[in-house]
Amino acid sequence: MRVIIVGAGEVGFNVARRLSGENKDVVVIDMDPKALSKVSDSLDVQTIQGSGSSPEILEEAGVREADIFLAVTDKDEINLIATFLANKLKSDIIKLARIRKEDYTKFSDMFSEGDLKIDTIINPDEEVVDSILRIMSVPGSVEINDFVGGKVRLIGVKLPAESPLEGVQLMKVREQLGEDIDVVIAALVRDDQLIIPGGLDTIERGDIVYFTCMRDQQNELLKRAGILSDPIKKVLIVGGGNVGSLLARALDNKKFHTRLIDSDADRCAHLSETLDRVIVLNGDGTDQDLLNEENVGDLDMVISVTGDEEMNILSCLLAKNLGARKTITRINKFAYIPLIQPIGIDHLVCPRLSAINSILHFVRQGKVISAVSIKGEEAEALEAIAQEKSDIVGKPIMEMNLPKGTLILCFQRGDDVIIPTGLTVIEPNDRLLIISTHKNIPKIEKALTTKLEFY
Amino acid sequence: MRWKIVLHTIGALTLCVGLTMLFPLAFSLYYQDAGIMPLLKSFGFTCISGIAMFLIFRDREGNKGLSHREGMAIVALGWVIAGFFGSLPFYFGDIFTNYVDCFFESLSGFTTTGASVMMDIEKNAKGILFWRSLTHWLGGMGIIVLSLAILPFLGVGGMQLYKAEVPGPVPDKLKPRIKDTAMVLWKVYLLFSAIEAVLLMLGGMDFFDSLCHTFGTLATGGFSTKNSSVAYFQSAYIDYVITFFMLVAAVNFSLHYQMIKGRPLLLWKDPEFRFFGVITLVIMVIITVSVYSATNYESIEESFRYTSFQVASIISTTGYATADYEIWPAVAQGLLLFCMFLGGCAGSTSGGMKHLRIMLLLKQAYQEVFRIIHPRSVNRVKLGKTVVKPKTMNDILGFFVLWLALFVICGLVVSATGVDVVSSFAASLACIGNIGPGIGSVGPTENYAHIPELGKWALIFCMLLGRLEIYTVIVICVPEFWRK
Repeated sequence: MRVIIVGAGEVGFNVARRLSGENKDVVVIDMDPKALSKVSDSLDVQTIQGSGSSPEILEEAGVREADIFLAVTDKDEINLIATFLANKLKSDIIKLARIRKEDYTKFSDMFSEGDLKIDTIINPDEEVVDSILRIMSVPGSVEINDFVGGKVRLIGVKLPAESPLEGVQLMKVREQLGEDIDVVIAALVRDDQLIIPGGLDTIERGDIVYFTCMRDQQNELLKRAGILSDPIKKVLIVGGGNVGSLLARALDNKKFHTRLIDSDADRCAHLSETLDRVIVLNGDGTDQDLLNEENVGDLDMVISVTGDEEMNILSCLLAKNLGARKTITRINKFAYIPLIQPIGIDHLVCPRLSAINSILHFVRQGKVISAVSIKGEEAEALEAIAQEKSDIVGKPIMEMNLPKGTLILCFQRGDDVIIPTGLTVIEPNDRLLIISTHKNIPKIEKALTTKLEFY
Repeated sequence: MRWKIVLHTIGALTLCVGLTMLFPLAFSLYYQDAGIMPLLKSFGFTCISGIAMFLIFRDREGNKGLSHREGMAIVALGWVIAGFFGSLPFYFGDIFTNYVDCFFESLSGFTTTGASVMMDIEKNAKGILFWRSLTHWLGGMGIIVLSLAILPFLGVGGMQLYKAEVPGPVPDKLKPRIKDTAMVLWKVYLLFSAIEAVLLMLGGMDFFDSLCHTFGTLATGGFSTKNSSVAYFQSAYIDYVITFFMLVAAVNFSLHYQMIKGRPLLLWKDPEFRFFGVITLVIMVIITVSVYSATNYESIEESFRYTSFQVASIISTTGYATADYEIWPAVAQGLLLFCMFLGGCAGSTSGGMKHLRIMLLLKQAYQEVFRIIHPRSVNRVKLGKTVVKPKTMNDILGFFVLWLALFVICGLVVSATGVDVVSSFAASLACIGNIGPGIGSVGPTENYAHIPELGKWALIFCMLLGRLEIYTVIVICVPEFWRK
């Protein structure tokens, strides 16, 4: 399997790292020798210096023998031309392009046919907005991911002090919450350590608990666990760029009272023309007077999404200091990710991380439902079909010989989605959603007596 | 400024006015009344003048493009000259004792005001009465084209909104598409006229009356052929038909065009129409209730019938009457007075300030308040989803101020001639808004005959300014306009 990646930036690098780790032949093309040397120094991949929009370079990279073509540079136009050429050189190659400009994404249909035939357009900005909206839908959450077409949710929540779940053994969680709610505790984060728990583990004070539940039972579950907090209504968005304006448009309705700050007067004028209910303010997100004027202390959520991450962090800290309930900051550099929560910002979003996740998700199409990464990348959710001869079929989950650190979160039988208990019996051809730490993946393969195929 | 082109065009216009005099002439011949000679004389005089102007000022170089200024001059002078030739049948027919009354009646017709100085209407020749109503209809035709095609092009008083806002037949050039625009809108106007005339005849009116009342309704004029206006017919059916068509005439004609083209949804999506609809309905309901409880109408239905008619008549600036609203409760009179300021929608045949402007001014005012609470907010006045340019907002503000100033000045002038204060200001308002009847001694049961000559000239000026959206007339009074 040969994968060609055009662009050795943060997205290209990380996708290359993950794919080469899964024994793929990866070729990375970039103009910048420095970026390339960073790739070739640390990864076992081939690098070619040159333009991804040059047919000669693409030939050299072996497009004709490749199966997947990823165009993930920062420039939409280069990505489009590169995919166009790849399509000309090998028409049946699978193509992904990272495209951010709204001018293009509005006409995504145009790119999926004709001379381009892009299989998937990755728009990191849109995905960031989606993840912000998900976070807003459960205000107390640390992380939220959707599976099985949005029917199943994985919600990470920091357990509040008075929660009835405190000190409860996992096998008794269902008793505690009521038998009518289907829930599996997928993971616990304690003292910054990720634990994929077994039935004998206990939930402790201060844990971040990852619940797997049906989406329609989410609110009831959180209520019973003593977690549900007031819905987010009053929102301040700092930064009216791509992400900011997309987000503002999504929040431009009666359910929210949204304000948006941008420092550029012309941009503000443009935004006020396109937005209806959102109050557009011209000023600086780190201007304390302005924040006071707009009564930031009373806001439910401050979302800082300018292109300048230091500024984002600062305005979130300032807002938090003035009394804002929750803050979300946008980060570009991965190096900052571990810093965010310790300094008191509630959530972070990262367009590049979103892009990497969706690229990986697509590349492993069907086999890994979602490249969901819990706690950075320590754990991953995968999908496998239960084989007839496998050890796991025909006995209840509690008697299965799964390696420690592996859990079955839910499975699909026909059209039904089922969240299992310890007594549930797996049947052949059930599609399982499994959470596991990275290092355990080979062991799971063995346990399932089938090779986990990524393709 | 090329006078030749201006006068050449006005010559053509005069000829058109002259030719339309054949219609009342036909009625006069049919009824064999006293209108034959005056109409024939007017017809000859007008046509000859028109042809003469048309030929003398013909531009042999064939350069037909019009500039902004020439456009404005044609519009403003065109109305005055139409008013002059339109007054000839009254003059030759010895209807009035002095010339100012002839001109007042004629211009009141062409500006679709409907303010009359005619004492006993029914004793006049039918041909003359038909001409009187026809001036409405012609004026209405002119207004539609003026407000939807010419004024947006000239950029007068915020009307350029329509260049961007209204989908469909809106031109961005005075020529050649203005011709197409005019044709399309006239077809709509003609269609509605035909429908109303037929409906009125079904309600028992004869051909003559139904045509005259149709002209008065769709042009939002208000000249009737009866002394007691529409009340003469004593028919609920006729009242409702006229109410409906008065409201139709107060709605933007390009929306009607869209509706006929099979896009009725645009009507509901139009913010001005919705604003107009809500205001009209609310006022109708309040007045119906207050009138029902204060007067001796037999049922709420009867009360609604008279109320809806008067409200539609005033808000559309038509000026027909089926009841004397001066005996209604104060709240009803107050609301009707309010309607006089409002007028109908932009792009209709109605006068007044127009709902569009009022709506945008209210939005602007709200934003000023909003800005006090959020000093650094950036916001724009929007009409639906379109942003209204600051320049347009300034135009509208300027229009508002000029309109009110004109109202006050003219009111003062009329009161200076000895008319009581309420009546003089009501007369001023009713003329700027092109409504017709006001309150006091110019109320629905009275007319303008008693106002002294100076007052009449002032009101004539008001009608013209009100009709031509003020700027068009004011601008040609400024010396800068005439500099080369």
